Amino acid sequence: MEQEIFSQRTDLSQLSQAVAEIRETLGKIIVGQHDTIDLLIAGLLSNGHLLLEGVPGVAKTLSAKLVAKSISASFSRIQFTPDLMPSDVLGTAVFSPKTAEFQFRKGPIFGHIILVDEINRAPAKTQSALFEAMEERQVTVDGHTHQLEEPFMVLATQNPVEQEGTYRLPEAQLDRFLFKVEIKYPTLEEEIEILTNQHQQQIQHQLDEIKPILDITQINALRATIKALFVEPKLLAYAAQIVHETRQHKSLYLGASPRASLALVNSSKAIAAIAGRDFVTPDDVIKVAIPVLGHRVMLSPEKEMEGLTTADIITQIIKKIEVPR
Amino acid sequence: MQRFLLFLLLFFSLGVQAQSVKKADSVKRITGLILDSAKVELRKFDDRKIQEYKENKEFQYEDLKPKNQGFWERIWHAFWQWLDRLFAGSGEKTSSSFWNGVLKYGLMAICMALIVFVVFKLIGVDFKIFARKSKEVEVPYDESLENIHEINFDEQIEDALQKANYRLTVRLLYLKTLKFLADRELIDWQPDKTNQAYVKELAETRLEKDFVALTHQFEYIWYGDFNIDRSSFLQIEHAFHQFNQANI
Repeated sequence: MEQEIFSQRTDLSQLSQAVAEIRETLGKIIVGQHDTIDLLIAGLLSNGHLLLEGVPGVAKTLSAKLVAKSISASFSRIQFTPDLMPSDVLGTAVFSPKTAEFQFRKGPIFGHIILVDEINRAPAKTQSALFEAMEERQVTVDGHTHQLEEPFMVLATQNPVEQEGTYRLPEAQLDRFLFKVEIKYPTLEEEIEILTNQHQQQIQHQLDEIKPILDITQINALRATIKALFVEPKLLAYAAQIVHETRQHKSLYLGASPRASLALVNSSKAIAAIAGRDFVTPDDVIKVAIPVLGHRVMLSPEKEMEGLTTADIITQIIKKIEVPR
Repeated sequence: MQRFLLFLLLFFSLGVQAQSVKKADSVKRITGLILDSAKVELRKFDDRKIQEYKENKEFQYEDLKPKNQGFWERIWHAFWQWLDRLFAGSGEKTSSSFWNGVLKYGLMAICMALIVFVVFKLIGVDFKIFARKSKEVEVPYDESLENIHEINFDEQIEDALQKANYRLTVRLLYLKTLKFLADRELIDWQPDKTNQAYVKELAETRLEKDFVALTHQFEYIWYGDFNIDRSSFLQIEHAFHQFNQANI
């Protein structure tokens, strides 16, 4: 009935088609993880950076590589190690004997899709090299600012901080990631499917077969479409209230920033678009609340000792706020 | 030569000292005990006189009140006096002082514990870390909730219709449907639940399909801000009435 009464104000057909194709492509190789795939697509369409967290061996890097492969854009991979220097990421000035001048040699950050593998194995000094690039989409070296091309997306993977040889990422950097997507262990059925695919040597073949689904122009156009989606003012207030309560909550010693509010609304729009709507509902906000806020807030030491997680607190906050209706 | 002379000097001086000590040790004196033969006079106190002194107020030092006592000092003094009387009832002084001590130090311990508690609270120590692990989190704020059970739907729908506010009318119709389902215990209405949560609650029931359609209409109009004219509204209103009547 709603199809007869409500005609679409925004053309989402191209987006829906692209989403379906990406889902299908990723779903061929990544077994299960449907929510993760949706969040990866939402992050891609929301112009945000993604942090994939999981124990070793749950296909974090593979997921990131697949997202990169689905887009026809330049791709760089940086393996973060304890001895990595900021210049290894950003680039450095090299003396050219021909011209007798220093010339800037671009680092791997100059790309469209940047896979930062094991991001939390590099020290804070190297992490801070990413701050400007991630937020302002530019790199300043030796007093010269170099703009990064759009789309620019950092896909970082990390092991949980409890794992050996990892550092805790600085709060300022965590805040620059749109989502932290936690990749869980597969179920028994999924694991059997993974083994069957591996046994039949299908994965490498499928990986080689992947063709880009979207190009740079299409990605930028879809992002502009999503940005223009409608959000009811009461829902803006709802999102703001969720973020605001993280700053009041006594179990959290660090609440979410205004950047988190923006991220919450923008990613809700992407989730709405993926669902084929040109407006946001409370379900969209709730769906992205934990991926957006979970890594941006910090538990108080007492609550951490009790075994609570930031996801528990965010869930409790959401339960205490009336859904606008 | 000098060394030799020094050696001789030391040798003979030590010999002299050793000899004198030996002599002192060999002396033995035998002494006898001298008995004290002095006469001892036994004096006895007059019991009646002692009692007189005891009854004389001038000799009762315990009840002396210090001069220039403040208000709180007088209160505390009266309090300790009361405790003394309370525990001196048994007549045994040792028991009374024992209980006084217990009470005094008990009160001091309570005061100390109170001070420590206040200080810990002020510096923000959460005492729950000593308790058992709990997943429940207290949220220190309250919401002003719109209770669907307190809304007069018929009156408000009539009012919205008179103003031709179809968007608001659809909202009220949807809330009325939620109340209808909650009253029949088909859904568990909670202010924090989304529409999709209710859709899940009605999954695999005969109401699911129609409720999904109503929810979509409501969401397009309320969250999507889609405009509806009178004819579209009448279609939607009919669907709501049909749903409610079919499930009475």
